[in-house]
Amino acid sequence: MKKNRYCLEFKLFFRSSSSWIGIFVLLITGFASLYFGKTFIAKQQAVIEKAATLQKKNTLNNIDHFGNDIGLLFFHNKFTLANAPDHWAAFANGQRDINPYLISVTMLGLEGQLYDTDINNPVSLLLGNMDLSFVYIFLFPLVIIAFTYNLLSEQKESGIWSILRAQTNQSFQVIWQKFLVRVVVIFSVALLLLFVAMLYLALPPDLTFLSVTVLILLYLTFWFALSFFFISLSKSSNFNASALIAVWVLLCIVIPASFNLFLTRKYPVPEALQNVINQREGYHEKWDMAKDVTMKPFFKHYPQLKKYPFPEKKTFSWYWYYAMQQMGDDQALASRLAIEKKLDSRQYFTNIFAFFFPTIQTQLGVNKIAGSDLNTHLEFQQAVRKYHEQIRLHFYPAIFLNQSVDNTDIKNYKLEKYNPQEIPYIWINMLSVSLLTIMIIGATALNLKRFNN
Amino acid sequence: MSGRINTIAKQTFKAAFNNSATLALTLLLALSLCLATYIGWQNFKMQNNQRLHYKALVRAQWLAKPDKHPHRMAHYGYLAFREKHELSFFDFGIESFAGVSIFLEAHKQNTVNFSEAGFTNGMLSFGEISVAMVLQLLVPLLIFFLGYNSISAERESGTLKILLCQDVSWKQLLWGKTIGIIGICLSIFIPLILLTILLWASLSHWQISIDSALRLLLLVLTYAIYFFIMSAIAVLVSAFARSSKSALITLLACWIFFMVIMPRITQAVGVKIHPSPSKIEFADAIAADVHQQGDSHDPNDPHYAAIKDSLLKAYAVDDVKKLPFNYAGYIMAEGEKITSKIYSRHQNELNKIFEKQNSMTTITGFLNPYLSLKHISMALTASDFNTFVDFQHQAETYRYQLAQKMNKLQIQKISNIKPGDEEKPPAISKANWAEQPDFNYHFKQIDTVLSNELLALSALTFWLMVTVILLQYSNRWIKTI
Repeated sequence: MKKNRYCLEFKLFFRSSSSWIGIFVLLITGFASLYFGKTFIAKQQAVIEKAATLQKKNTLNNIDHFGNDIGLLFFHNKFTLANAPDHWAAFANGQRDINPYLISVTMLGLEGQLYDTDINNPVSLLLGNMDLSFVYIFLFPLVIIAFTYNLLSEQKESGIWSILRAQTNQSFQVIWQKFLVRVVVIFSVALLLLFVAMLYLALPPDLTFLSVTVLILLYLTFWFALSFFFISLSKSSNFNASALIAVWVLLCIVIPASFNLFLTRKYPVPEALQNVINQREGYHEKWDMAKDVTMKPFFKHYPQLKKYPFPEKKTFSWYWYYAMQQMGDDQALASRLAIEKKLDSRQYFTNIFAFFFPTIQTQLGVNKIAGSDLNTHLEFQQAVRKYHEQIRLHFYPAIFLNQSVDNTDIKNYKLEKYNPQEIPYIWINMLSVSLLTIMIIGATALNLKRFNN
Repeated sequence: MSGRINTIAKQTFKAAFNNSATLALTLLLALSLCLATYIGWQNFKMQNNQRLHYKALVRAQWLAKPDKHPHRMAHYGYLAFREKHELSFFDFGIESFAGVSIFLEAHKQNTVNFSEAGFTNGMLSFGEISVAMVLQLLVPLLIFFLGYNSISAERESGTLKILLCQDVSWKQLLWGKTIGIIGICLSIFIPLILLTILLWASLSHWQISIDSALRLLLLVLTYAIYFFIMSAIAVLVSAFARSSKSALITLLACWIFFMVIMPRITQAVGVKIHPSPSKIEFADAIAADVHQQGDSHDPNDPHYAAIKDSLLKAYAVDDVKKLPFNYAGYIMAEGEKITSKIYSRHQNELNKIFEKQNSMTTITGFLNPYLSLKHISMALTASDFNTFVDFQHQAETYRYQLAQKMNKLQIQKISNIKPGDEEKPPAISKANWAEQPDFNYHFKQIDTVLSNELLALSALTFWLMVTVILLQYSNRWIKTI
């Protein structure tokens, strides 16, 4: 009997054209977003491939042009590190459009090169990317609202409710069944899209996939719980629709956007501009100073390089030049660390704030998995620092001894890819979304108790 | 005739404020607007002051440089900061996504770095709250909540028939309801404008320019038109809908589709149709062109060999060392001329591609008044793509002038005979540095801005006409019962 009633509810649900419209909207935008997300990442991959061939070509060109002056060769030659996108990056593009994914640097001062941006269309950055995470976070809740806002109110407004109440004392069961049907349908669509994403984006079916699935289902449950809370208030359809949309606007637009503005205000980063100035002065002022001013701190930084004789008397030597460049970086150290500290406190504050807002929490979670968040970019920058330092120390001796380029292994250097070591986890994100959902369910239960009395 | 419209409008206005929910919503919106204005204004002051502070510092450091070789100064270069227009606290536009500082040096064109977006952790994808954002996105939502039952409720309660029997025409009813709803919007909008004017004047240190005043005036006008369009749409949907509920659902679905989904899709399609090169491809194309034109590093390059020959001939000497001016400086000036010409050509092509990508969104303005208003608003507050491109252009012009100025100083004032390996390097007096003026960005005049935005302006006008025509003549298709 009960099973039969679910069957009928399903039939009833699929008879309505608005149900199909909702499902189609989700599927079509889902497929479109998969396509756009994948194209976006595929382009980055193609560019990285191209950069690898260009790196080789340019190195050979440079050797051809400047091969007889090793200092000049390394003045021009660039070394590239790529933040190659993970498969998940197509699922959530995150900040990958804003932050550069290829950093090419010469052996000169790093702080003057590290922050160079990619060439971007700022309008595209402003309007944002279309990826599957957008569909899950923004559009699924809207369809959930559309499917559920009038479950009870429609029955009341059409007069069915009073008839139903007269006939059975389990009248609320009917609403609950209708609700469950919608939960099943939405979850099926969500899982179907995830499954298609797995095939289309070649996502490995591992623990990461499972945790993203759980996070998204939890997020959708949150919206169902919220919607059910408004049903339990037993107000009119128009009230429910207006209130739920207002909550959606608050959670998806107004609160994150206001928070963002607040964050910019509370933690401004003028240190970034100061850093540029420190680096520039730290290097350039040395031209007008005694060589000692440069070389003393340089040898203090790198005692192991002391054994290479420094040509004191020469007006210009590459030895001195590269040491001056190093001074730019050394004098920018304090401001660089200040930037890092500022960004850390931004991150810390965001994490606390996000605990109360499932939209932010879910977005941060999937971006983290996809390696498209700010932290991954900062780690990528650190990897560039390490790589740059390694290259410097490797080639300094040859430059300082003015050796022939043929004695170095520069031809072996190719584009390197940055591989994040840690596998990100999103337990906290899941926990926070679950807790909020449980709170709403609790509030709903209280409402229902009153309602039944 | 107009008396009736007035009465209906007044009635709608009063009825709306008698409803406590509407009042609460309106107040909430007004509050968030005040907050957005205040924070936007504070942020503007802070960020702009930072930029001005560093601009002054850069200038002082430039002037304080000791005597040295002019080419060292050309490499020391200049840091230019993108200043904000004083109206940009109203609409942030692309402000947060465009870089702030650019390093200008000889031989090399750098990117504009340190956009605010680069420092945010994914929060920016939700948008930024500014006065413009509230007016563009949230006020229409309020209008839809206010207007969805404006006609349909009358129909459902049966008062519609009575009204029409009492010699009230459909035209009067539609106009009256629309004006009533606009009245509610204006009760938020007008105080906001007054506040904006006050803050804008204080940001301009009470010395307002006619250009900015005109910009603000047009801004107010276009937003008013936008509210009219939205109110008319709400009333018309309510008139055509079967019930209040279907009117509400239709309006909300439109709001979501046109304001949340559509902008992303149109831009993604634009980017897909007109792909732009990546940075490395861009740089490689420039390098290839430069190589083709002539390579100043290669002593056997035909272009530079020809210059050398003609110079030797003109001065009747047999070695460049015997020329009466600094030969290296001369060659560098020539190289700078060639490379910067090639670079500018590529940069212009790139900007054209970006414009094509954006034009997709601009043209969609004919389908979506939100997008056309967004464009106009960004242009009027100088926080749009064109202003950013113009900044890049002015910075590049400045960079070129600086490099060539230093080359000229080298040609004229530095000896053509290279000093020995252990000799003191040649230098010129630091008094020369002051000749290079400070970098100051000049915003475009409003007439240029408007001519750039013709498409978006005509889209908004188109929408205005469509809604006016519909209010006037749609009565024949509306059902009374």
